[in-house]
Amino acid sequence: MVDDDLWSAVGDPTRRRMLDLLLSDGGATATSLSEHLPVTRQAVAKHLVVLDRVGLVHSTIAGRERQFRVDQAQLARAVDQLADVGAAWDARLQRIKRIAETIERTRDQSAQN
Amino acid sequence: MTCNQTLQKVESMEHEMIEREIHIDAAPEVVFEVVSSPRHVREWWPDEAEFPVEPGGTGRIGFGDTSQDNNWAQFTVVDVAPPRLFSFRWTHQAGELAAPGNSLLVVFELEPAGRGTLLRMTETGFRERGWDAVEIAHEYAEHVAGWDYFLPRLLAYAAKVGADA
Repeated sequence: MVDDDLWSAVGDPTRRRMLDLLLSDGGATATSLSEHLPVTRQAVAKHLVVLDRVGLVHSTIAGRERQFRVDQAQLARAVDQLADVGAAWDARLQRIKRIAETIERTRDQSAQN
Repeated sequence: MTCNQTLQKVESMEHEMIEREIHIDAAPEVVFEVVSSPRHVREWWPDEAEFPVEPGGTGRIGFGDTSQDNNWAQFTVVDVAPPRLFSFRWTHQAGELAAPGNSLLVVFELEPAGRGTLLRMTETGFRERGWDAVEIAHEYAEHVAGWDYFLPRLLAYAAKVGADA
């Protein structure tokens, strides 16, 4: 997997709308997705290739078309990791605050003495 | 997590940026020292920090067992403008010049607010750097995520600051 592609894959509004539709319907084909989107079936098929390449969707043959489903584990993994990086910064900033305020209080006390 | 919650989080990825703001009851000069000087950075983030506080200064930060090379991350200072601005890049490969595309950029902006400081922090470059940067940042985040790690150090640090005064 090319790592940049995962970011590009979820960074595109049409592809996020497709993930939304795939999640709510439990699965769909390029044709059925294109019925809900303002883009052609060919464009949807290209977007599905992008999502498939990064493992966000998997497909099975259903009759004459491919049926796509979201890989929920991969999607959750993608979003959780960004959230965790944010949470780590929250913790670091709390530490910065406490350290700076401790130093400030120590300074004030020194100034008073 | 429900599907909708997952998708809301996906939406937030469009910004490809972590942005935080916090008020600190300490003068900008004090906060600047804490966010920029390696001896303080060690207290709130990595276990080891080695870098000169000057624009373009290159160094590294270490997590956990620092006798292992792969527990170090590259660290390059970008801007130093006390007491308003401190920024750096990290997660680039050793031997590479830090630049957009190979590293994450962290910017601290400080603004006087009452008797204290408004500290703004952004981290950008995830999209440009790619998925592996998030993996790296996540890996390092895990070393320091919890209060279990932080509290003993804070108490030790507070006692030390008190003793020095």
